[in-house]
Amino acid sequence: MFDIAWLWGLLGGLLIGSAGALYLLVNGRVMGASGIVGGLVDGSGRDSWAERAAFLAGLIALPGLAALLFGGSETHLTDNWALVIIGGLLVGLGTRLANGCTSGHGVCGISRLSLRGIVATVFYILAGGIVMVLARHVLGWI
Amino acid sequence: MKQTLAAALAGALFGLGLLVSGMTDTTKVQGWLDVFGDWDPTLAFVMGGALLPMAIAWRIAARRRTALLGRTIPLSPGGTSVDSPLVIGSTLFGAGWGLAGLCPGPALASLAWEVAAVWSFFSPCWRVWSPHPPPARGLNGWPRRPDPRPGRATGECNGYPCPDPSYAVSPQIDPADLPAIKAAGYSLIIDNRPDGEIPPDLHTDVIRAAAEALGLAFVANPVIGGALTMDNVATQRAAIEAASGPVFAYCASGNRSSVVWALAHAGTLPVDDLIAIPARFGYQLEHLRPTLQGLAQQG
Repeated sequence: MFDIAWLWGLLGGLLIGSAGALYLLVNGRVMGASGIVGGLVDGSGRDSWAERAAFLAGLIALPGLAALLFGGSETHLTDNWALVIIGGLLVGLGTRLANGCTSGHGVCGISRLSLRGIVATVFYILAGGIVMVLARHVLGWI
Repeated sequence: MKQTLAAALAGALFGLGLLVSGMTDTTKVQGWLDVFGDWDPTLAFVMGGALLPMAIAWRIAARRRTALLGRTIPLSPGGTSVDSPLVIGSTLFGAGWGLAGLCPGPALASLAWEVAAVWSFFSPCWRVWSPHPPPARGLNGWPRRPDPRPGRATGECNGYPCPDPSYAVSPQIDPADLPAIKAAGYSLIIDNRPDGEIPPDLHTDVIRAAAEALGLAFVANPVIGGALTMDNVATQRAAIEAASGPVFAYCASGNRSSVVWALAHAGTLPVDDLIAIPARFGYQLEHLRPTLQGLAQQG
């Protein structure tokens, strides 16, 4: 049974990959969301702040505009603030330690068969799956 | 300007892809991670779709090596070593991803309508907690060559190239980079950039104070772009020879630090090497060949 959401997923994925390809082949940079933000926040990306800020502006503005034009989008973020804050801090700490997230290690790393990208992806998916199962089925948080 | 526009376009495409694919919806992400619930395979399609253009892009990159706007494409970003920060960091990230249902990209993409996603902005501040700070920007370790000067290096290395770097060049550093430079084993910092080019918080005095506070030796040898003098060369040579360990030199891009290194070694290393070693790191010194040959002949 084929779900239309999968097709949207595939189409969206192609757009994400094209964005990464553009950033690599035109700007000569690896598209990693955590690294682009991180470099702005901690100052290590001062030399390329305009590029980083422009990337983030596009990343925030176009989905916002699209959601406005074609009906609101829904994130279904949990209203349990403790979960959001703890989750956010874990994401921030983890991606800085590992030097990458789903876009950098996942999309950009696996596509060039990088060992680091593959190992990172295996670990964050395993950890995410285990936490998900624990939090939803055992502890009933989500 | 072109780079900024291209970056905005890439960001916009990325955001649109995240929205279209449903990755800005936490129920899709958590539905994929929850294999024991009502499993939602969408994320696998997203990943598959994203890998395809990226894999093609890497193939093109391997052939072209230079990006359309002139930068050298990093073909092996982040190196190849699988270490504990990678594994621990990815595990923590995965746990947070499961709890909140958002990773950094989708969190930013949904910022326009989901203000709670701002958490992704303060989370990167946690870098200061990292026990393994990333190495300084543009840190190019040059492999040590057999050192022809008597009594130096030849004893340690038996005349063979040592794998450890003895001279590195870098674009402008700031004081926050210094602990990583020290941790990487450098003992001397050479500043080849005149203060007139840069904001006060990066002036020679500031970097010198920060370097000396860490116990690093520091030599200022400002090279004016396009007006390098033989005094510059002699100062660089004397500083390298007096150094007790590997040397870390910086200017705006690393180019001037490469040029003075090459001129300082004319006559002690083959001219071809003086040009080829910096070229490996993107510094083109071919135009210096006649000068280097002339200096080498003078001895």
